[in-house]
Amino acid sequence: MALHLNLLHEEILEQRQRQRDPLKIGIMVLAGFGVLMFIYYMWNAYQTLQIKGRLSVVEREWAKVEPTVTAAQKRSAELNNIVKTTRVLDEYVEDRFFWAPFLQKVTRCVAPNTQLTGLEGSVSEDNKAITVSIEGLAAGREPRSAAEDLRQMLTEQLGQSYGDVNVEFKALEDLDTIVNVGGTNMAMARYVLTVNFSPSPLATKSAAASPPPRPTRVPKK
Amino acid sequence: MNQFKLKKDQIQKVGLSVVGFVFLLYIYFNFFLGPLNRSRNTMLATIKEKQSNLDSSRGEMSKATTLEQQAKTATTHFAAFKAMNPEGAPIAWFPPRMKIFFANQRIDKVSTRLEGTVGFKQAELVDWMKYSWLINLPQADYATVGKAVADLENAEPLLSITKLSIHLLQDQPQFQQVDLVATNIIQKK
Repeated sequence: MALHLNLLHEEILEQRQRQRDPLKIGIMVLAGFGVLMFIYYMWNAYQTLQIKGRLSVVEREWAKVEPTVTAAQKRSAELNNIVKTTRVLDEYVEDRFFWAPFLQKVTRCVAPNTQLTGLEGSVSEDNKAITVSIEGLAAGREPRSAAEDLRQMLTEQLGQSYGDVNVEFKALEDLDTIVNVGGTNMAMARYVLTVNFSPSPLATKSAAASPPPRPTRVPKK
Repeated sequence: MNQFKLKKDQIQKVGLSVVGFVFLLYIYFNFFLGPLNRSRNTMLATIKEKQSNLDSSRGEMSKATTLEQQAKTATTHFAAFKAMNPEGAPIAWFPPRMKIFFANQRIDKVSTRLEGTVGFKQAELVDWMKYSWLINLPQADYATVGKAVADLENAEPLLSITKLSIHLLQDQPQFQQVDLVATNIIQKK
């Protein structure tokens, strides 16, 4: 076996030590990681750029459509508002109480011997109840019965068109005054009638519309 | 084995490398990758939102077109309601209108005054006001008043008579004094 002499032992050892210098190795590892991370960052940046491109395409499309859509949404909201308002106004118009037909009915009830001197009526806030006060004079052999005839006539006539009709005397008093009607002297009475009813005839009509149950016949055996 | 044993200065260098590595990671994630990812996520969310807007926009537009056709009657009706009331303050035009109306009904003496105004509670009628008017007819006869009231109720759909008072005139029994409290709905100008 040949003898091998290493005369540069110390230098070689130093060189080896330099080669496995932890700082150097650490720097190399760091540089390696740095490169990897840079590559990963660049990949991400590339993807982000692609997304940015997609976003600008979508934004361009949206910018084209947006004014039309906004206008359409605004118009839809406006139309919805108009529809709702019109519905409420229509309800208001339909729910009104019409006084003219009522006045006509009162005219039909007044006989020549029952004069009206005053009429005051009001509609409740929700248009569901009408209150009328009728004041007048009745003349006849029995003026009270003439006033009663008027009351019954009002009940009958108003009942044809309105619901929950209630006509009551608030006051009925004989007067000392004698009046000449058609050449005949007649006694007089003063009356005040209170009329309450609902404009809708449904209240009483629905009750009338459902007939009472018929008695069932049991067949004879 | 002695070759892998680190000296003190080498341990210091390894420690320094580890600290440097951690610092590098911190810088990388906080100042490079983090903001990039955040902006990417923001952009993705914006794309999603815009895309859904674009998808719904077609529906919105077709909905608006359909609604336009469906609401034709309501729109006409609404325009008619609006056209009933002229421009300007109601106190300026309503009393003269009543005067002309009753004059046409052969009732010459008319006075109309505003009793009050009130807004609506319903959200649908926020742009509308309720005006309450006292219409006084000091000399009229029952039949004429009845006909006038009928015509008024038919001619003014947004007007509703809430109170009615008819009283005999003591000195002229052929005439009556009539007071009407009418509520009119008028759009705010």
